[in-house]
Amino acid sequence: MFKQFLENAEGNQGYLLSSLAIFLIFFILVGVFVLTMKKEEIKYMSELPLKDEDDERGS
Amino acid sequence: MTEKFYYDNKTVRNFAIATVVWGIVGMTVGLLAAMQLFKPAMNLGTQYTTFGRIRPLHTNAVIFAFVGNAIFMGVYYSLQRLLKARMFSDILSAIHFWGWQLIIVATAITLPLGLTTSHEYAEMEWPIDIGITLIWVVFGINMFGTIFKRREKHMYVAIWFYIATFVTVAVLHIVNSVELPISFFKSYYVYAGVQDALVQWWYGHNAVAFFLTTPYLGMMYYYLPKMANRPVYSYKLSILHFWSLIFIYIWAGPHHLLYTSLPTWVQSLSTVFSVMLIAPSWGGMINGLLTLRGAWDKVREDPRLKFMVVGITCYGMATFEGPMLALKQINAIAHYTDWIVAHVHVGALGWNGFLTFAVLYWIIPRIYNTTLYSVKLASFHFWIGTLGIIFYAVPLYFAGFTQGLMWKEFTPEGLLKYPNFLETLRQILPMYMMRALGGTLYLTGVIVMSYNLIKTMAAGSLVANEAAEASPLPSVFVAQGTDKKWHRFLERKPLLFLVLSLVVILIGGMVEMMPTFTIKSNIPTITSVKPYSPLELQGRDLYIREGCVNCHSQMIRPFRSETERYGEYSKAGEFVYDHPFLWGSKRTGPDLQREGGKYGNAWHYNHLFDPQTMSPGSIMPPYEWLINQQLDTTTTRAKITAMRSLGVPYETGYEAMANAALEKQAKSIADDLRQNNIKVKSDREIIAIVAYLQRLGTDIKAK
Repeated sequence: MFKQFLENAEGNQGYLLSSLAIFLIFFILVGVFVLTMKKEEIKYMSELPLKDEDDERGS
Repeated sequence: MTEKFYYDNKTVRNFAIATVVWGIVGMTVGLLAAMQLFKPAMNLGTQYTTFGRIRPLHTNAVIFAFVGNAIFMGVYYSLQRLLKARMFSDILSAIHFWGWQLIIVATAITLPLGLTTSHEYAEMEWPIDIGITLIWVVFGINMFGTIFKRREKHMYVAIWFYIATFVTVAVLHIVNSVELPISFFKSYYVYAGVQDALVQWWYGHNAVAFFLTTPYLGMMYYYLPKMANRPVYSYKLSILHFWSLIFIYIWAGPHHLLYTSLPTWVQSLSTVFSVMLIAPSWGGMINGLLTLRGAWDKVREDPRLKFMVVGITCYGMATFEGPMLALKQINAIAHYTDWIVAHVHVGALGWNGFLTFAVLYWIIPRIYNTTLYSVKLASFHFWIGTLGIIFYAVPLYFAGFTQGLMWKEFTPEGLLKYPNFLETLRQILPMYMMRALGGTLYLTGVIVMSYNLIKTMAAGSLVANEAAEASPLPSVFVAQGTDKKWHRFLERKPLLFLVLSLVVILIGGMVEMMPTFTIKSNIPTITSVKPYSPLELQGRDLYIREGCVNCHSQMIRPFRSETERYGEYSKAGEFVYDHPFLWGSKRTGPDLQREGGKYGNAWHYNHLFDPQTMSPGSIMPPYEWLINQQLDTTTTRAKITAMRSLGVPYETGYEAMANAALEKQAKSIADDLRQNNIKVKSDREIIAIVAYLQRLGTDIKAK
């Protein structure tokens, strides 16, 4: 399948490869950012929506 | 020490009501359009209600009126609570609400009148475009004002999605609306042909991404944990998929233009990024579904969670299917067929519709301080809605495969097996009927919901200003469980966050657009391609007014099955004077790129007057008003001048002679018609549209 992608990408493979490289760099940066987050921080952030007072009403 | 403040529930309630009202309107119009496709009488015999004008009304109503109001409802409710602050300004909230409704009403009036720019999902003319810009800015100020005066320093991931939505929709709307007005109700896009197509589908694709997807992901991240009463499955995954999603999405727009005259390298880029898009999309879906781990017993009882589960599953299906459709081999069959219509409706009815219903069932009882009137009715809504989606999508998938394959089928002798386009259409008419049934079921569910919500509202009373308490922000920032300062940096700096997401979404669009706009070799010029004559130009604008582009493409792809059926495939250089491009995205009728000279003027006259006489079994509505209405030639001068300033090489001073040339050409067509026993005055609209149709594709036609 990947061979077909490349065959279809006539000319200008530079665009493909550099775009892919840009994304990979970006993705790795975000990945590093995420992996170095502390557990407490994650827990605090993920519980933000559950801190309302109005949870008893309306259900 | 805590501060006392009040959440604004009134604006949330207003947006909720608007969501339901416009939802019913938009879906009813959609049902009308669906019925027009198997019963031409449903075009109702007036020029204001033909499919060509009704279809854009439907798409804009459900996207910007139904989904738009639902987004604002969801954002206004969750933003206040996540930030522990009332919305920034009550006045801005009111301006936002009423301004948005005014835009919707203006759209609902102008589109049936035929005032359209013809860019899909952006058909509104320039005054409305300006209105949208202003109201969007009001929304942005109100949102960022609230973020600035927040009492919770950390911005939850839902707010990231809201910010990305705001900034990207602003960029998309502005770039896609650069038009040169020639009157209060008419304008031309400054882009032409291939470039216009690229801008339109960069917009169209990312309107799906940032109007129909990111705000709903934000809502999923807030409301799903609330409904299930447990935090999101993985917060880390939410961060990773947020940045990947907004980065990758923007590159994928040109997959709507595979095999067209768009430069091949742009097509390839979009295919690669479309396939990559599966990862962040499924990251979101998995994060949503796994949030319910260990809470599936709740799903069995709570119809809101049922809506959520099916909605998120539909999101997963649509976002898997999208990249598959972006593979050239699959796109070759699916493009221009009902497969695409089925695909978008799985997303629209399932993901947007069902999440909206879940949030409505959740918010209304809360802000009315009561309980839902009937859980049973909500359950009924869920089942009839699900059935509606199945009855809508399955027949259309079948129709798409069938027609796509029939168009491509050859006999052993090497001739098209179904040379008559109508044969392939007739085959799928039963599927169109089933689809309308599916739409009816879905709409019935929405009406049942409306009743349920009205009863709920009547049982309670609106808590317009809901009291809440929270501590003000400490003057010194206290980190939550981390000592690394830069971790929190982004979450604490909303403006920096806005700029960063802006940069991320600009990269893809710029890599694709700038070379296409600036490097000449991307659009090779063809010397025999000349500007339209004044009459043809007027005819082209009538073609736009009647929305012909909604059913007829003008883009022949380089396949033998297409060149056999329609003629020479389309070249990029043929469209350099097309402001706007009219390639279309769906072939309910045949392609018209090489229509010029195929039939005589008399054939076109009779066909427009009553399509069934020339093409028995056609579902095209009759356009008899084109014969009664006089062509407005007062605009010719302004149109020629405008086109010249956009780079179309009309000679200086030609605008003064344009109407004389127009009348001369009109007279010759009227004379030709008279020879075929058709008596019509040369100043009628039909003459102009016939002139345009006869011009189509003739510039490079082999003699």
